[in-house]
Amino acid sequence: MLSIETQQENQHYILQPKGEIDASNSVQLDESIRSLAEKGAKSILVDGSAIDYISSAGLGVFMSYLEDFQEQGITLKIFSLSPRVLEVFQILGLDQLIPIFPEKEAALNA
Amino acid sequence: MIKLPTIHIGRLSLLLSILVWLALLFVDLVRLFGVINNLNSGIVPEFTWVLEILFFLTVYSFYNYNLQKNAQNEFLNLLWRAASTGIFASAAFLVIQIFYEFLGDSKLGQEPFLRNFFYHVHFALISIFLVSTTLLWKKLILYQKTKQVVQQWKTYEIGLLIAMFFVFFSQDTFGYSFIFGFVILTVLGGFLSVNLKWIPYLTFKEKWKSLLFLAIIIVCSVYLFLQTNAYSSAQQTYPINLLDNLFLISLYVFILIYALFSFLVTLFNLPTSSVFEQKLTEAINFQRLSQSIQPDEDEEKVLDILMDSCMSASFADGAWLEMYQTDRNQTIIQTRWIEEKEKEELSQLIESNSVAQNWAKESKADLLNPLALKISHPKFGSLLLVPLVINKSVIGRMVLCKELKDGFNKEMVSIIETFARQASISVENHRLLNQAIQNERYQEELKIAQRVQKALLPNNLEHNQSFEICAYSNAADEVGGDYYDTFQLDQHRYALIIGDVSGKGTSAAFHMAQMKGVFQSLIQLNLSPKEFLIRSNAALSRCLERNHFITASIFIIDTLNHQVCHARAGHVPTLFYRSGNQNAEYLGIGGLGLGILRNMQYEKHVEEKEFTYHSGDILVLFTDGIVEAKNQKSQQFGFERIRALVEINHHLSPKEIQTKLIDTLHDFVGGDGLIDDDYSLLVVKFN
Repeated sequence: MLSIETQQENQHYILQPKGEIDASNSVQLDESIRSLAEKGAKSILVDGSAIDYISSAGLGVFMSYLEDFQEQGITLKIFSLSPRVLEVFQILGLDQLIPIFPEKEAALNA
Repeated sequence: MIKLPTIHIGRLSLLLSILVWLALLFVDLVRLFGVINNLNSGIVPEFTWVLEILFFLTVYSFYNYNLQKNAQNEFLNLLWRAASTGIFASAAFLVIQIFYEFLGDSKLGQEPFLRNFFYHVHFALISIFLVSTTLLWKKLILYQKTKQVVQQWKTYEIGLLIAMFFVFFSQDTFGYSFIFGFVILTVLGGFLSVNLKWIPYLTFKEKWKSLLFLAIIIVCSVYLFLQTNAYSSAQQTYPINLLDNLFLISLYVFILIYALFSFLVTLFNLPTSSVFEQKLTEAINFQRLSQSIQPDEDEEKVLDILMDSCMSASFADGAWLEMYQTDRNQTIIQTRWIEEKEKEELSQLIESNSVAQNWAKESKADLLNPLALKISHPKFGSLLLVPLVINKSVIGRMVLCKELKDGFNKEMVSIIETFARQASISVENHRLLNQAIQNERYQEELKIAQRVQKALLPNNLEHNQSFEICAYSNAADEVGGDYYDTFQLDQHRYALIIGDVSGKGTSAAFHMAQMKGVFQSLIQLNLSPKEFLIRSNAALSRCLERNHFITASIFIIDTLNHQVCHARAGHVPTLFYRSGNQNAEYLGIGGLGLGILRNMQYEKHVEEKEFTYHSGDILVLFTDGIVEAKNQKSQQFGFERIRALVEINHHLSPKEIQTKLIDTLHDFVGGDGLIDDDYSLLVVKFN
């Protein structure tokens, strides 16, 4: 089960996925991120505090926006990941490409 | 031992009855001789009576056997047998009469012996007619029998049997006791005669035929009865009375009553027989509709039956049937007795009819009932719209047209509705069946894919005496995205590769095949692990979908120098057990998955490391399916369990270590818990 909440704080859009992100619902995450980009968001923050698990399909969603966002000047940051989920990002090496912060403040100020 | 010939009851009773009849004739002729010559022949009348009863019984037995042998007698056939016997008996008697007319007062005409002979012939024919017809009636009466009717019939038969012996007690024909017996048997026969269940099953034509046969039977029996009376009044010529027998007279009456009843009931059933036939056709049509269509047949066959059944049930003058295709373009499948132009006109009338429009908008398709419409059209006066509903959605409609106004009554509509529902069920079953077959085919295809993919993994893992190796792989679905391989680079160097495509199932399997192709090509170039991954990334970036990536680890083992050089592309870390300090730990090395950065930037994110191995050291390569396998409490198997297991079991062979790991994993996940991802395991132990 996955539910995604979006809220706007100043120029930042904060996305909070809740639950497990796997092959069956990664499309949902993909759509949320895309709709924000289409809305013209320049700063997208993902609140990872409620992500219980992320599969490779979920990682694929974040990965697929790397180049596009770079071209369009959109920043994507992730914060408050649980240690287990952070480990998944680290093993794959995505933490080298997507800025990951321990908490929201750090992400906003970076 | 002498083998007795099998007794043929039919022939035996026929033979016996002929013999008995001849004996009867002989006895009576001898008696007559005695009477004429005033001699006492010494033959008591009881002797004749016994023979008479024997004759009745043998004839009964013969016909009883004969009828049972031809078990599936049709009603008309039964009636015809009775009628033909009657005609034969009457004709024979007529011939005899004409013969006597012809002789007139000649000597031969007065000859008592000849007269007696014919008297016996007459007796035999009447007995045969009466007994055989009674048995035929029995068949008709006991059609769709109940226990009660069978009981009544048995009682009647016992009554008849007693009647045969009546003559022993009283020779006074039409005395009180005779009348008493006669009344009882007549009442019993009358009761039995109300069992006429066979009549409704005759078609209109058959009813007419049966009326004819029944009329013949009635005429014959009346004629024969009258002739019997004529004999009785001319008694003096015949020394013994065979015909004024309670048994025979009761049968006469019974046959007449039943024939009369049948005649009248059939006659009065004539007007309603068409309704009965109609209902029977409907039942048959219903049965045809409910028989499921064979998978290789077409739905049209069912729709064909549906149209025919509904038209015959409603006496419609024309009809058409439309099936909606998925793109909502109507395709007319069938039209009956209706011109294209008329159909167009009627369709427009339906379109403009507000009731029909509301009807078509009904949201709950399974509540949709046929709708009868009055229309103003030069040819047709009324229409019936019949929906075809499958799985709560309307898949089509049938329009029945009648020239009459208000041509569809409640009964028609309800039977048509039933037909339509049944046809819809048949079509639905047909579609489901086809779907199931299709699925079956996909399953087969997947099995082939599974076999092909299994072949992509190596059969033999290349190694030398310096190390032992074993591998295991399992896919969550039929096919998966895990890959491992070994290559011998030169005499002392071997490459090990493990890879994992993001996602699972068919798409992962295709990417896995691509990965194998890329790896197999690049390994030939004898590259360093880092260079190998950089080139792999460049190659795979061209063929992977945008949101897919591959993780991999590569190890190059130099058995001469006991060196291992390795690099990691985002793959789960490899466990390395050192026998020196009896300690296992994961090899920490930076790296990024293949296909994530699809440009030259990738180079910056990949590292290469080298280490020395010693005897007893163990390398455990695996994919994330093992680490992320969850138990019922949603806990992951995790890295730590693998590490601990390897430390404990380091002394075992690679195969045993692998088995330990897999078994522990399965125990952890739980009995019927499924591991929702592909998982693979490669264990290397250095000698």
